[in-house]
Amino acid sequence: MRKFVIKRLAISVVILFFVAVIIYTIMRCMPSSFVENMAREKASLPGGKSYNEWLAQLNKSYGLDKGIIAGFLQWLGQALKGNFGDSWEFNIPVTEKFMEVIWDSFVLGAISFILEIAIAIPLGIAAARKQYSKSDYAISVFALIGISLPSFFFASVLKYVFAIKLEWFELFGMIGRHYEQLSTFGKFLDRASHLVLPIITLVIVNIGSLMRYTRTNMLEVLNSDYIRTARAKGLSEKRVINYHAFRNTLIPIVTIIGGSLPALFSGAMITETLFQIEGIGYTSYQAMTTGDIPFSMFYLIFMAMLILLGNFIADILYAVVDPRVRVN
Amino acid sequence: MTKNENNEHISTSMALDDEQRVRILSPGMLVAKRFLRNRLAVIGLLIIVVMFIFSFVGGVISPYGEAQVFKIYDSIEKDFAGAAINNEFQYINAPEESFPAMAKAESILAINKGEDRFVSQDVVYSLIKEGNDFYRIVQYQDVASVISLKGINRFTPVEGETISKEMETAYAKALDTNEKSFDLDGTTYYIINNGKNSSIALAKEISMASKMMFSAYTPDIDLSYDFRFAAEKAMNDQTQTFEVNGITYNMDLDIEDNSAVFYMIDGDEKIEYALASNISINAVNNAFLSIDFKEAIVHAIENGDTSFTMPDNNGVEVEYKINRKNNQFTIRTLTETELINTYAAPSKKHPLGTDGNGMDIITRLMYGGRVSLVIGFVVVIIETIIGVILGGLAGYFGGWVDNLIMRIVDIVYCIPSMPLYIILGSVMEFLSIDPKIRIFILMIILAILGWPGIARMVRGQILSLREQDFMTATEALGISVSRRIFRHLVPNVIPQLTVIGTMNLGGIILTEATLSFLGLGVKYPYASWGNIINAINDTYIMKMYWFVWIPAGLLILFTVLGFNFVGDGLRDAFDPKMKR
Repeated sequence: MRKFVIKRLAISVVILFFVAVIIYTIMRCMPSSFVENMAREKASLPGGKSYNEWLAQLNKSYGLDKGIIAGFLQWLGQALKGNFGDSWEFNIPVTEKFMEVIWDSFVLGAISFILEIAIAIPLGIAAARKQYSKSDYAISVFALIGISLPSFFFASVLKYVFAIKLEWFELFGMIGRHYEQLSTFGKFLDRASHLVLPIITLVIVNIGSLMRYTRTNMLEVLNSDYIRTARAKGLSEKRVINYHAFRNTLIPIVTIIGGSLPALFSGAMITETLFQIEGIGYTSYQAMTTGDIPFSMFYLIFMAMLILLGNFIADILYAVVDPRVRVN
Repeated sequence: MTKNENNEHISTSMALDDEQRVRILSPGMLVAKRFLRNRLAVIGLLIIVVMFIFSFVGGVISPYGEAQVFKIYDSIEKDFAGAAINNEFQYINAPEESFPAMAKAESILAINKGEDRFVSQDVVYSLIKEGNDFYRIVQYQDVASVISLKGINRFTPVEGETISKEMETAYAKALDTNEKSFDLDGTTYYIINNGKNSSIALAKEISMASKMMFSAYTPDIDLSYDFRFAAEKAMNDQTQTFEVNGITYNMDLDIEDNSAVFYMIDGDEKIEYALASNISINAVNNAFLSIDFKEAIVHAIENGDTSFTMPDNNGVEVEYKINRKNNQFTIRTLTETELINTYAAPSKKHPLGTDGNGMDIITRLMYGGRVSLVIGFVVVIIETIIGVILGGLAGYFGGWVDNLIMRIVDIVYCIPSMPLYIILGSVMEFLSIDPKIRIFILMIILAILGWPGIARMVRGQILSLREQDFMTATEALGISVSRRIFRHLVPNVIPQLTVIGTMNLGGIILTEATLSFLGLGVKYPYASWGNIINAINDTYIMKMYWFVWIPAGLLILFTVLGFNFVGDGLRDAFDPKMKR
């Protein structure tokens, strides 16, 4: 098992290295005028340095004055020390900005993830129990609609209905206008009410795949011989489903849930942007559209790490559950 | 396909799992039957067919073009003319003379102080008051200097000038009556007192200053200096008739309005010639305003009216409104103006209204559907080709080839796609790449990041297929490797490819719509469902014009849903093991 974990880890690091190379190359292939433009913008800020100073500084600090390989090595050396440079857009160190915004994203992601699990698994099991029944169709259609919904459109519809027409929630932002005057509990409620629409959006848009995954797995389990045996023994249907079948369905589900845990930190770019939640998604969207290379670079690497970590966790969990995997 | 009808007599049941029936149907037919039995799949297929007809046939049928802008005519109140009560001196220079701005400022100072001469840039000017707020600015040229001692005048002519007896008499006469000038042989001489010394001088006209504004009756009349001078003098003296350069003019003075109309007398005819008043009037668009119109404005302003009516060129009475702001007046009137028909509500002409550019929304939706569907299909085809080739090679050869390709797959899989699309979209935005080329680049990027899933699936399938007996048979028959891969292995993967391709189509359409919504995908003038919804970045538009964005969003939803239904149905149809 240990050998397996180390092997997987080593592979992940190698993959991460190559991903970083590719991302860095793409960043470097951006037209240089992009950097010049940034320097010009920076120079026009009050109290800033001159254009040439900025250009030289930007080029130097990001190794843009060197070749791609040398520049990458410089970047890598700094990154390994945890120094990702200063964000051009936010004017503070990238990691500082990251720490500032990541927890809002995490809270948003975690709440919606818990809700997803709480809704998707029971519904998926219910659909599998009565395959081809009306409720199965309804749940399947619901899941597919969730998958097919463009998140920006759904978020806009929610805003239109609940924020504009009914005026239950505010259109965007994280805190209300009178936030400072509220009591501690009032502040909590205010923040919570601003998260309602984004959470609904995330839950509906993301719930489909987990629901379908549960249904497929449950169907597989229900078709297996030991369920037939359990039924033949005369066990009640309730016990067959809740005890024998459910436990076995949990194995792949836990694997996939474990694998998606790192994604809680990745933020929801579109949803956060639409609701202007100052999370990692919205922040990086701003950084990317304004050509903030240091922050974008950091965000892309961070995302790649999350994907790798997710795969890694899923693999490990899979190996824990299924000993055959460990052998290969 | 096997002829089903020939074997009809054997079949006793129409049920799909009827043994007889199953035996006689080809596998493809079976899949089709199973697919069609799935209600959701059929609904999905229907949605897709409808979307294709809507996008590809609809665009042809629609009477409007993709980027056709609709305009409407509407009457809106627009500035027609401006008027101002003139409190500043206007300078009219004598022919071939110039009066510099510095001197103008000095002259105003002199007028305010009541002085009659001023110096500007070493030139001495003299002011001659001709009437109320009406001055002539002249330069005196001395003819002679006069020294008066005990009633005796001694004249000393300036070099080159002579003093005649008549002049001396006229001077003495003027002195007696205390006049400042005298006329002699049609020339006016001025007496300048300078203590005991006086001088007789000729005045050289430089300019005249007045607060009156003159406007000519027709655009081709050029009001001469002489005319203006004579006309203003006549206004001050209230003389009805005066003559300038041999032409007689008649004046119609309106003391109340402080304005006057001048007529040129040509034989018996009285021709309207010019208008003078202290209100300056200018048309907004440099058009020539008729005297009647100006007179009406002057009259209305003097009376304090806020509106007046005037017949226009066609004789129709038009109402003009006067807005006052201090000494400025704006004359506004309803003007027929061509406007872009933006955010028009749904009507017969535009079933879903028009968008912010005044384009027909339903037509934009049709063309947008084309773009979205074409992008979806092209991307799926490209990524399937890459995926099948790389996945096939990896699966068939195994070993280091497999390892290498699979590591590449891992790497590409790990590149965060959405952030990368956004970065590349912003770069294209920054370089302002042509919208048409952007679409191609977008398709290539989507395909390059999309193939690993297909490659993985193909490899997995081929890994298990190549161990099967039929592959051993192909090996025994000595069939070439490429033929073995692409004729015997790949066709066996086609069911899974179809399923994964259909599902991916929906995903690609979603991604494209999201990017276009963010303004980083398909750009104006090309329509895409995503960039139509882009309009709601303005909350006001989201609030007021549902017809701009709701239909586009529903089209995306239904199209993607259709592809997902079909993909789902295909998977169930190809793989009936999942059914009880």
